[in-house]
Amino acid sequence: MYLPDFEYYAPDSIAEACQLLSQLGEKAKVLAGGTDLMIKMKNEVLAPEVVVSVKNLDQLKKIEYVAGKGVSVGALCTHNDLVKCDVLKEKYSSVSNAARQMANNQVRNRGTIGGNISNAVPSADLPPIFIALNATVKLVGTKGERTVAMEDLFTGPGKTVLAQDELIAEVIIPDQKMTGSNYIKFGLRKSGALAVVGVAVAVQVENNVIKDARVALGAVAATPVRAKKAEDFLKGKTVSDEVLAEAGVIASGECKPISDIRASAEYRTDLVRIFTKRALRKAIDEGHV
Amino acid sequence: MKQDYSYVGHSVDRNDSYTKTTGRAQYTADLKFPGMLYGKLIRSTIAHGRIKSIDTSEAEKLNGVKAIITAKDVPSMKWGLSPARFDENIFCIEKVRYNGDKIGAVCAVDEETVYKALKLIKVEYEELPAVLTWQDAAKEGAPQIFEEYPGNLNTEIHHHFGDVDAALKDAYYVRTDKFQGQRTYHAFIENHCSTAYWDGDRAFLYSSCQSVHYIQYHLCRVLGMKMGNLTVRQTNVGAGFGGKLDPSGLDFAAVILSKITGQPVKMFYDHAETFLNGRGRHPMTMELTTGVDKNGKILAHKFDCVLEGGAYTGLGIASSYYAGSLLGVLYLIDNYKFDCRRYVTNLPPCGAQRGHGQPQPRFAFEHHIDLVGEAIGVDPIDMRLINARKGNSITTAGYEVKSYNLLGANKMARDASGWKEKRGKMGVGRGIGVGNGGFVTGAGFCQYRTDYPHSVGMVKVFDDGTKAYVYSNAVDIGQGSDTVLMQMAAEAMGYPYERCQMVTGDTDLSTLDFGAYASRQTLMAGWAVKRAGAEVKKKVLAKACEMLKASGRIKEGFGYLDGPLTPEDLDCVEGIVFVKQEPAVKLTFEEVARKYFVDHGVLLGRGWYHPGKLGGNHKGAAVGTSPAYSSATQVAEVKVDMETGQIECVDTWDVHDSGTIINPKLFHGQVHGAFYMGVGETIWEEVLFDKKTGKLLNGNFAEYRLPTALDMPPVESLTLDDSYEPNGPYGLKEVGEGATTPTMGAVANAIYDAMGVSMTDLPITYEKVWRALRDKKASGK
Amino acid sequence: MSSFVVDKDGNKRYAVTVNVNGSDYTKVVKANTLLVNFLREELDLIGTKRGCELGDCGCCTVMLDGKAVNACIVLALDCDGREVTTVEGIQDGEDLDIVQEKFIEHAAFQCGFCTPGMIVSSRALLNENTNPSEYEVREAIAGNLCRCTGYVNIVAAVLDAAENL
Ligand SMILES: Cc1cc2nc3c(=O)[nH]c(=O)nc-3n(C[C@H](O)[C@H](O)[C@H](O)COP(=O)(O)OP(=O)(O)OC[C@H]3O[C@@H](n4cnc5c(N)ncnc54)[C@H](O)[C@@H]3O)c2cc1C
Ligand code: FES
Ligand code: FES
Repeated sequence: MYLPDFEYYAPDSIAEACQLLSQLGEKAKVLAGGTDLMIKMKNEVLAPEVVVSVKNLDQLKKIEYVAGKGVSVGALCTHNDLVKCDVLKEKYSSVSNAARQMANNQVRNRGTIGGNISNAVPSADLPPIFIALNATVKLVGTKGERTVAMEDLFTGPGKTVLAQDELIAEVIIPDQKMTGSNYIKFGLRKSGALAVVGVAVAVQVENNVIKDARVALGAVAATPVRAKKAEDFLKGKTVSDEVLAEAGVIASGECKPISDIRASAEYRTDLVRIFTKRALRKAIDEGHV
Repeated sequence: MKQDYSYVGHSVDRNDSYTKTTGRAQYTADLKFPGMLYGKLIRSTIAHGRIKSIDTSEAEKLNGVKAIITAKDVPSMKWGLSPARFDENIFCIEKVRYNGDKIGAVCAVDEETVYKALKLIKVEYEELPAVLTWQDAAKEGAPQIFEEYPGNLNTEIHHHFGDVDAALKDAYYVRTDKFQGQRTYHAFIENHCSTAYWDGDRAFLYSSCQSVHYIQYHLCRVLGMKMGNLTVRQTNVGAGFGGKLDPSGLDFAAVILSKITGQPVKMFYDHAETFLNGRGRHPMTMELTTGVDKNGKILAHKFDCVLEGGAYTGLGIASSYYAGSLLGVLYLIDNYKFDCRRYVTNLPPCGAQRGHGQPQPRFAFEHHIDLVGEAIGVDPIDMRLINARKGNSITTAGYEVKSYNLLGANKMARDASGWKEKRGKMGVGRGIGVGNGGFVTGAGFCQYRTDYPHSVGMVKVFDDGTKAYVYSNAVDIGQGSDTVLMQMAAEAMGYPYERCQMVTGDTDLSTLDFGAYASRQTLMAGWAVKRAGAEVKKKVLAKACEMLKASGRIKEGFGYLDGPLTPEDLDCVEGIVFVKQEPAVKLTFEEVARKYFVDHGVLLGRGWYHPGKLGGNHKGAAVGTSPAYSSATQVAEVKVDMETGQIECVDTWDVHDSGTIINPKLFHGQVHGAFYMGVGETIWEEVLFDKKTGKLLNGNFAEYRLPTALDMPPVESLTLDDSYEPNGPYGLKEVGEGATTPTMGAVANAIYDAMGVSMTDLPITYEKVWRALRDKKASGK
Repeated sequence: MSSFVVDKDGNKRYAVTVNVNGSDYTKVVKANTLLVNFLREELDLIGTKRGCELGDCGCCTVMLDGKAVNACIVLALDCDGREVTTVEGIQDGEDLDIVQEKFIEHAAFQCGFCTPGMIVSSRALLNENTNPSEYEVREAIAGNLCRCTGYVNIVAAVLDAAENL
């Protein structure tokens, strides 16, 4: 296989990067870990004339807790950075665990969360858990910064609200009232498999009563989606197997999966039912896992 | 029968240990020659059609492109691996027969230019309707893919031994089941690569292949070359499993393009193209009927099998015969009927993959026989014990079976796995299952017609005796044949293994062997090098005898010797020649060998092997007859998620009846790898094509899912101590392929035990399990 | 920003310096040069293999600043100023690394095509975690496909190496 020709830039600052992207317009593509972009270029899906490598933007490689804001995860953090990060492990193991189920070790060492999000594949593993945790995304462009809710970022397969000159700078997981969260990925083998479905949940449970719930589904619609009817159903309910099972049934009614070589729509729909139930149980019993 | 050996039976380190663990091992794609060009094949983008025109003009103009060839530039003689069905051309003439078929080749100064050139080549087709399944191919009025195969029927087989219908009438219980196998793929990690150059009228070809001899033979036949003028060489091979036996388009193109350009040419596939090259397992549609008596003894068995062949025959005729020919080796079946058809379709050709033709029929039979046993209340292992063949017997088809301990394998697997405590007792979602298998140890015939020996070996001792070169063109594709051949040669010579060196992978320098297929090399090349080693030893002992006599050391004090010292009074072990009755009187092999060299020149030993006339007289007996048969039992334990259908294989046991084990650690490695392929095929692997265009959909390791290290269970590999095969050198027989054959049955039976629904359609994917469980629930059972 | 020259076809060729197995190499390459080809073609380090070329099989695994990555999907230019360790750099002079020794002892390879990547992944794991569980070993090599061995002896070799670090 080979890569078509392109020009290469590796700007030293975010501003310079945005400037370049703005000048070059459609011709340019951002290169982070390359685990999506290189594949697409080899498979002749994309042929950018210019590649803008963000490898030098070290300020985007941090994970930190900022009081009053939440956990800020730089866009250039790799999946394994999430897996190994103490802040996350302590506060939201669910995010580390989601990252740990991605791809394979080599790809987790290269692939970044910014790439995972801006790539906007319906099966991407990180968006659902971020959506369940009500995360926001900070975008930086030539005209300045803006913050978008993760769930509003995606507009279709491979499509986001990002402007041509914008970079994803960080993902912010706000401080939570949610008492637990969990992501279950179902792939067709234990490593190196894209999600056939991914179900993320976050719940706030007090005295065995569900005060609040968010359910986000991956790989079952054109974008990651929330199962809002299931969420509404859960609110105010006392925890029981029946309630969780019913939430699963409702969530499965909210997804619109397609059939492809990996799985049929029918199967995916039922998997949503099963994993919504299971993820809720985990989050309720075990916290942010 | 077992003896204490210096090397045979020992887990010596592989001879390629250092190069392979340090990254120094060279594979074909690693070779570089001055001025080397890079080339790729031009491939069809439709499944079936006539080529109207090929326009290469734009590509020719591209800077760096050196040559482009199509059918008009190359010989038109047809070739193939089945002598009766030569149906493949180097490049398609007039018609393309699958999406990916070979139309031509391009070479250029570097890889990038080749890719760019390929994009500029325009092929115009008159598209013909394509047939992508055997069911469509068999339809009345279906488009004809080849003129020579009316109705797209490539071959049919009808075997009938005994009287099946009569026996079924008398049976206590008769049952019919249907099964479907899928197309799978060898999935070695090294893609094919071939590099050629010329020197005058001689061509040299490096090919990542399983048989330097067959590549040499077929290329010379088609290119009209004398075999002495084409040297085929092979470096390390990144595995084959059957997929590197047929010459690939790369082999032909490399030789032709390097002739045209006068420069070395490296032809290479990308990973997806190795799928298009095909030759993987045929999807088989199978129907089995068995009649048994009250105890489960098989009275008659009927096997109906259809193979979906893809576009060319390749080894497909042999695959078809193998589908039915070995059942009668495993089990005692007096009345047996085997009906088989193979159709051609507009997909990449199918061929031989580890276990050749047998794994899917084994899956079907092993599951079917469990269902039969269940119906009459007989435990699966008991079903097998009642029907298993014993050694020193002759099959219904006339094959002679010497050593055979399937009974022992079943019992050992039963006990090691805790079968009695587990079967049917593990609760919903957990299960254990058993499967039997085994394989030939080499085929009785060459793949083309010849009276050549099947393997020729040679040992040359270096002038001063400090090294012994072992010659054989047996191909080490990773199974470790170089190591075990040297172990056997060293043993036979009485020379240190550590000082042996393999001379292989070169049709000029080394000696004939047909190559790595049909699990033949350890036995056949083993005989050849063992005999060569023995001849060296004979010469060494004779020379040593002469030396000892001349030395005067022997005259006195040896009153027990009747008459003068003879070579028979001497032996040689690990490089020391000694008087058997007085081991203190000794010489080193080295000094004897040196003396031999001084007196006579090169110290050489030669050996060869031909299986001779083997059993079976019916049409097709050639496929299945063998000097020796292995047998094997596997037990697998699985977990099934009863909601999602997810399957996890958690534990496995294998008992392989393999005769003498030459190198235990390599032997177990074969079992592990064989099980790995089998379990992958049972649950995960299937090559998929677009149902309309025949375009390959998953020619990559993301969607053609080999199990990862997290999916693969532990394998406990066990052996039978008393296994000894009289037809094998040192009493050995095969392991490499036989160990793949029980796996699908064992795993499928475990899945059945876990979920209570019979899964008859491979691969048993999570979704299929989910669907089956849902249907079962719906039907209220 | 790396400096470049423009070739006859108008393509830019960039100077890149990569530290490979302890030595700095400066080469002039096109932007589309992948690390795997840089190693194999420019430096003749053939131990790094090309298989799937899509990040799925791991036979091209090298360490980039100590972390296992697939060299088939990393640009050489992205490695400018960084450290790469290939299988050739695992051993210490003449002496084999413990991982290599244990691979030999356990016959943890057959055709050997996955082996360089497998050894690099295993070594990268042991550099970070000297006492891995069996699960952690399997997880670390799950991106290294091996068709020959079923991973059985590989897992045993890595666990044994860990015990003998
Ligand atoms: C073998 C393999 C397995 C995989 N398995 C999984 C899996 O299990 N789950 C999963 O979710 N994904 C998987 N992926 C996909 C991929 O690894 C991830 O999506 C990864 O997170 C992409 O990140 P990257 O940095 O490599 O992206 P890149 O390839 O560098 O970029 C991807 C896209 O995002 C853009 N981009 C990158 N960073 C930014 C930024 N900061 N701002 C704006 N745009 C940006 C790029 O221009 C490009 O279009 C797999 C990939 C491979 C090769
Ligand atoms: S060749 Fe790089 S991962 Fe397969
Ligand atoms: S040893 Fe052959 S692929 Fe691993």
